[in-house]
Amino acid sequence: MIQVKNVTKQYGDFIAIDNISFHIKQGEIVGLLGPNGAGKSTTMNMITGFIEPTKGEISIGGYDITKNPKKAKQQIGYMPEGVPLYNDLTVKEFICYMADLKMVSKTEKKQHVEEVIKQTNLIEVQNKLIKNLSRGYKQRISMAGALVSNPKILILDEPTVGLDPKQITEIRELIKKLGKNHTIILSSHILSEVSQICQKVIIIKEGKIIAIDTPKELENKTNQNKFIKLIIEDTDSKLKEIVKNIKGIQKIDLVKDNEDGTKEYVIQTQGNIDIRKELFAKCAKEQMTIFELKTSEATLEDAFMKLIQTQNKEEDKTCGQS
Amino acid sequence: MWAIIKKEVKSYFLSPIGYIFVGLFLAMCSVFFYLDVAYYGSLQFENMFYSVATVLTFITPILTMRMFAEERKVGTEQLLYTSPRSITSIVLGKFIANILVIIITEIGTLFYLGILYFFGKPHIQTVLVTLFGFLILSMVYISFGMFASSLTENQIIAGVLTMAFFIITWFLPNINEIFAPFSFINMFNKFPSGLIAIEEIVTLVTFTIFFIILTIIVLQRRKSVK
Repeated sequence: MIQVKNVTKQYGDFIAIDNISFHIKQGEIVGLLGPNGAGKSTTMNMITGFIEPTKGEISIGGYDITKNPKKAKQQIGYMPEGVPLYNDLTVKEFICYMADLKMVSKTEKKQHVEEVIKQTNLIEVQNKLIKNLSRGYKQRISMAGALVSNPKILILDEPTVGLDPKQITEIRELIKKLGKNHTIILSSHILSEVSQICQKVIIIKEGKIIAIDTPKELENKTNQNKFIKLIIEDTDSKLKEIVKNIKGIQKIDLVKDNEDGTKEYVIQTQGNIDIRKELFAKCAKEQMTIFELKTSEATLEDAFMKLIQTQNKEEDKTCGQS
Repeated sequence: MWAIIKKEVKSYFLSPIGYIFVGLFLAMCSVFFYLDVAYYGSLQFENMFYSVATVLTFITPILTMRMFAEERKVGTEQLLYTSPRSITSIVLGKFIANILVIIITEIGTLFYLGILYFFGKPHIQTVLVTLFGFLILSMVYISFGMFASSLTENQIIAGVLTMAFFIITWFLPNINEIFAPFSFINMFNKFPSGLIAIEEIVTLVTFTIFFIILTIIVLQRRKSVK
């Protein structure tokens, strides 16, 4: 559906995007992840035809975005970062204008506009001026504008930024629902969001792709260690002594020393060894009460940080060598 | 293109800008109608347009300064340029919308003609030629204002640039005769005498097309450098 081939974007000597290539299949929800300034928005802007790549090709549903922009752009619904809107129009007027801009036929326009207003939950405010509405509404209006032509592809740049938790949940639900009928690319720096919504993640750093995979695979790949959180009654600080013979423990960190005599530890273990049973038995034998004992899996956040850090180290090495 | 024209005209009259432009223009028309026509007991409606044309220099930027600068500043240009509409149709849409505002304003000036009809019979052909000439002059002014607006995201800079350019064109012929074709006001001044000045029309329309093309080039070019 979307084919990005050896795309580079250069501003003078500065390379914003450095020879990236990826492919997105129909019906996929893909997350574009990266630290601020990594090139997520630039990539999206090139896919939508807002800016032109310095080198490389981008094709949307078989149409090249620079050679056949009209056909390519007709397949895209774009929600830009910061939700720019025409504030002096009402919600309905704005959505109608977007339908006109996107060449929705007159016969379908009314029906499409009503549908997206319903879909994005804007019925109550449809006749209000956009400038008087809250950020949450504006986000949904922008989404409605992107959806009104019923595009095959939806491109959402930071769709949940600036929203309160309730609104974030609503927007995420909406994106998931839309994912059933659309191919979606969304950018975010909120990792949990991407792991919840997306089937595939593209991690970008300094204009380069450093990983493309499913969130689960990324977690697995970078997850060589498990962590156990333990809150235990340990006034004499003897936990380290007791557990030293348990196989697989790599590190024990005291995180918090509570006033009630309990201590919170994080125990790092190797690979897939589960030490909980043994740990429990040993503590029980010493009559130390366990208040909490749970494993925490590495999240996409850990995977992300690890990938970024690995990349940094590699760069340091090459710098050192040169 | 019709979608853009409709939205732009609507925007002018949903915000105070349209009313400020039309209001200021007609207020100045009232002054010059009194000074140039009514004061002399004349029926020559077209006489006030010599002065009114100079007013256009100062109020055109009100209309044009926001055309592209605001879209760029607010970010709505992303909505425009990622739509399947071509840059040419966007530019022409905005240009035509502005011309429509000018036409609405010109229709407003017919009120003064109505007053004259109350007292006698003004020469209608001359009036029509004058209004036509005024429209052609507005086209050049708007196309340049639009071009200035495409250069920056700061509306004030776009407005000042537009006004400065028009003022310079007033004085250019005083420097050297070579610059005579750049004096848009002098070109317009032939119309109120009832003359359909072909050479002037061609020159003014050529400049209009030139500025429209420049605007398209600027916006097209920004796609690869922004």
